[in-house]
Amino acid sequence: MSGLENIGVKIINPLTPQTDGVSGNADAILHELVALLETYIDSGENSAIDLHSLPLTPTDYELLRATLAEGEVHANINAVGNTEVRETLYPGVWWLTYYNVEGDIVADLLEVIDVPEILKAPAEDIRDGLVRLRDLLTQME
Amino acid sequence: MNEPDTLGASLTRTGISRRSFLKFCTAMASLMALPPSAAYAMADALQRTQRQSVIWLSFQECTGCVESLTRSFDPTLEQMIFEMISLDYQHTLQAASGTAAESAREQAMKASYGKYLLIVDGSIPTKDGGVYSTVAGISNYDMLVETAKGAAAIVSVGTCSSYGGIPHANPNPTGAVAVTDIIKDKPVMNVPGCPPIPSVIAGVLAYFVTYGKLPELDHLNRPKVFFADTIHDRCYRRPFYDQGKFAKTFDDEGARNGWCLYELGCKGPTTYNACATIKWNGGVSFPIESGHGCLGCSEPNFWDKGSFYQPLPTPLADNAPVIAAATLGGIAVGTVAAVVSRKHQADIGTKEGK
Amino acid sequence: MDLLQFARGPALTWAFAIFVFGMSWRLLGILLLKRRPDYSEPRHATSWPGAIKLIITRSWPRREFRPRTVFGLSVGYIFHFGLVIVVFGFAPHIMFFRSLTGLDWPNLPNAVIYISGAITIAALIIVLGRRLTNPVMRLLSNFDDYFSWFVTITPVVTGMLAVAHLGARYETLLAVHILSIALLLVWFPFGKLMHSALIFISRGTTGALFERKGASI
Repeated sequence: MSGLENIGVKIINPLTPQTDGVSGNADAILHELVALLETYIDSGENSAIDLHSLPLTPTDYELLRATLAEGEVHANINAVGNTEVRETLYPGVWWLTYYNVEGDIVADLLEVIDVPEILKAPAEDIRDGLVRLRDLLTQME
Repeated sequence: MNEPDTLGASLTRTGISRRSFLKFCTAMASLMALPPSAAYAMADALQRTQRQSVIWLSFQECTGCVESLTRSFDPTLEQMIFEMISLDYQHTLQAASGTAAESAREQAMKASYGKYLLIVDGSIPTKDGGVYSTVAGISNYDMLVETAKGAAAIVSVGTCSSYGGIPHANPNPTGAVAVTDIIKDKPVMNVPGCPPIPSVIAGVLAYFVTYGKLPELDHLNRPKVFFADTIHDRCYRRPFYDQGKFAKTFDDEGARNGWCLYELGCKGPTTYNACATIKWNGGVSFPIESGHGCLGCSEPNFWDKGSFYQPLPTPLADNAPVIAAATLGGIAVGTVAAVVSRKHQADIGTKEGK
Repeated sequence: MDLLQFARGPALTWAFAIFVFGMSWRLLGILLLKRRPDYSEPRHATSWPGAIKLIITRSWPRREFRPRTVFGLSVGYIFHFGLVIVVFGFAPHIMFFRSLTGLDWPNLPNAVIYISGAITIAALIIVLGRRLTNPVMRLLSNFDDYFSWFVTITPVVTGMLAVAHLGARYETLLAVHILSIALLLVWFPFGKLMHSALIFISRGTTGALFERKGASI
């Protein structure tokens, strides 16, 4: 059965919570973050975890929020709706929440990287911006 | 005609920032359950490539599928699919009309022969030479066969082009068939639904544009990532089914408590679609969440599988006349059998008497 | 037409037709038979109390034979009761009967149904094992016995699989389940499953005869 790994698996219905409301997946994510940070330090390879690809209970979310907490950087990107970029208490671990214009979450990721790609100004956009600024100055002269 | 147009250039022209585009790719990757790194690869690859030429043919349809995609609740993100493609022909959306419109299709076919993606919504009438639906004097059948020749792949959007849909329903006066009934030599992906979920349409198109091939398909040519599970499997009311708690009418105690709608004819257990997870109107709800059973609109022949309100395990036909007739027949045969037996008994009796 | 449409449509219609045709044919054919005239003086004026009495007493093992028959009899009772619970207690089945007869009654919790179904299957396997291992029973058994056993257990097994969504897609499992019921209905009037109706007729007839003669029941 080749090609089995190409079939995406998406689990959205939350697990039936245990008595304490924790499914164990939050704990698994935290351990995976440790492994991903180790890889990043060793090889510089960045990575991400899609929080929608795992069944998480509301308590799992709270546990992740409480453990990762707020770091030093908090940015909002205003591009077709808001995108919230928050550094966690652990430098290099970022929590990115993508909202659409209506404010619904369309993607929820944990990224392990020095600066998330979406924060950086893309080279092409910089070039386009330069052109626009030059044009503006020419018009003003 | 347009110069070969990279997506990056097109984005600049339309004032869409690359961040917005990266965001779109992230949302699509998450939706398609691709690894998060795929979003960057997707964004990177797409910026450099030419916009995918798409020819969209509408046959016997109601435009509901186009409406679903273009008037989706969250148009800004899902409509970004239109930035990724160069929609060279689409009746409803294009500005050109008449001869100009048809020549746009011919030019697009010529310009990227063998590479364009063909999207079809609506079924194709085949009866009486296909006269029941024509565009510019060309029958749907001829147009499909001609346009399919140069297509890299075909996407049937909606139940009509996927399975024949409502035009195909009994007695099917126009002899309507699905795309796969006509085109046998091209990869065809079915995205059924009446209409399909907009993010599903956008997601599979984004996949094709990114990877240049169709995603993994199931036995009915549906993308597995969205059509692997039944509505019932993913339904939030499933626990009530498992407990045997059913609403008996639409306004009883069970209905108010949100119990399972199986007895009210819900087709969730036999319907493969993503409504229960992705939901509709930007994730607001889906039919069952609004208190109505699933109609099974993304399944073949959904219109001919009995009433929407008839529970799944009940007989489809009205069997009362057949049962009555068979009972009478049985009584007749039984009586004849008894008469014969009695005569036989009487014969034995007389023999014994002698 | 897919398999489920075929099962719910023509397959069920034909099965119902053959079932009611066969039942009325066989029952009438037996009930209308000529009775042998009995010229002796009846011991009791009415014979029906004997019929009822015998139907009840024969449903219980006689003390003399009890050690030998109690096992087979209790396993038999277990799967008969299990079948009744599953067939008449499961909500989708009640819906099926309601669509045919208009009658409705409250359903049992699904957990009860699942347990009864499992016990029924186990008991049916035990009775088949007994039939195969006991030399006398084996000698007495013919195709009818084995086939009647098969058409009885198949709907239970396929029903359990459909409920558990095991082995195939739900629509296929449900279709196979309905087809297995169609097979049961078709075979019912013509095989030994007909005992479900005839057992009361034959016991009642014997009981009435005994009552008339004054034999102990």
